[in-house]
Amino acid sequence: MSGRSGREARREERPYEDGRAGAAERRRRLIQLGSAAGFLGLLAVAVVVVVSGSQSSGGDPGKISGAQTVNTLLAGIPQKGLVLGEPSAKVTLLEFGDLQCPFCKGFSEDVLPQLIEGQVRHGEAKLDFNNYTIIGAQSTPAGAAAVAAGEQERGWNFVELFYRNQGAENSGYVTDAFLTAIAKGAGVPKIAKWNAERKSKRVLSEVAATTAEAEELGFTGTPSYAVGGRGTAGIETLGTPDSAEDLETAISGAG
Amino acid sequence: MKAPAEGTLRGIATFLATFGIGVATYIAIADSGGGSPVCIAGGHGCQTVAESSYSHLLGVNIAIFGIAGYVVLLACALLRGDAPRMVGFVFALVGFGFSLYLTYLELFTIDAICQWCVASAGLMTLLFVTNMMRMLAYVGREP
Repeated sequence: MSGRSGREARREERPYEDGRAGAAERRRRLIQLGSAAGFLGLLAVAVVVVVSGSQSSGGDPGKISGAQTVNTLLAGIPQKGLVLGEPSAKVTLLEFGDLQCPFCKGFSEDVLPQLIEGQVRHGEAKLDFNNYTIIGAQSTPAGAAAVAAGEQERGWNFVELFYRNQGAENSGYVTDAFLTAIAKGAGVPKIAKWNAERKSKRVLSEVAATTAEAEELGFTGTPSYAVGGRGTAGIETLGTPDSAEDLETAISGAG
Repeated sequence: MKAPAEGTLRGIATFLATFGIGVATYIAIADSGGGSPVCIAGGHGCQTVAESSYSHLLGVNIAIFGIAGYVVLLACALLRGDAPRMVGFVFALVGFGFSLYLTYLELFTIDAICQWCVASAGLMTLLFVTNMMRMLAYVGREP
């Protein structure tokens, strides 16, 4: 009698135990599924990061490109130091940039050509590049090399060619070999002189001084612009304009 | 160790995700104006990080991805059931992994620390822990 009731009790418990086992199995599978989905998600992000990183080339002294484009853009426009344009131009547009800055590269390639071909070439404004070294330690030797190139009237060629061959910031690409390749591509005539001057205290101090000036003007990013002319009360800061048209309007207003 | 009640975990995740949306939105707005976030403790760390090429992925500011991630995590925290438990875990894991990568970049490549990015990384770490506990303890169970 008692043996029979025991069997019946076990028979009644079996669906309950089966249900618990099924729920545990489902939980195990869901956790496995979640873990696998998480792993795949991480993998997908890693692929995107790698693909995105591989798109930014540059920084290779053996593959300097764009010299022809830069030379054509700047041909016939006077240069003195890092000032591009007719000395008699009524308006000065000051640019505060970091040669390692990718946004400055974007401005150099997409915004400034319109301005250079227009108001700068026509003698209405001159562009004054100033180093604002904020990206990292390699920004200073890069900026000093541009200043030294400017002493041989190839400063803007150097700046523009540097931007077109810019590597990933602070990745170590700003080597003597890279800077020399840029200087040669920019047409700096006396490389030995340039090489000595870019390491001089005087040139390095100039880079530090323009960086300090940018901070005094209250700039918080690069590239930042300021304009000076008859229509301005000294130097007026513009920050980072959205387009070449904004810069052109500011120049027209300052003239 | 016994996991906290699911309601508690969801409440914590809701708070963290809401805070995360605020941080990421501030970074995105500061960047969209051509500037950079202001480091409250001073210094140029935020500016340097915002200026770096690593602040954008496929041409989009990383903060935008952050906002999207936090919004999904907030939705998962507010909803009941297995789907939000699992989706929340997956997004928090990916966000946590990406935050680790960004922190590595700040320390060893960009050589600058942005307080807002650190705050976001901290929030994402806590969200990962919260969502992992929620999934491991409650997935497959009745809401």
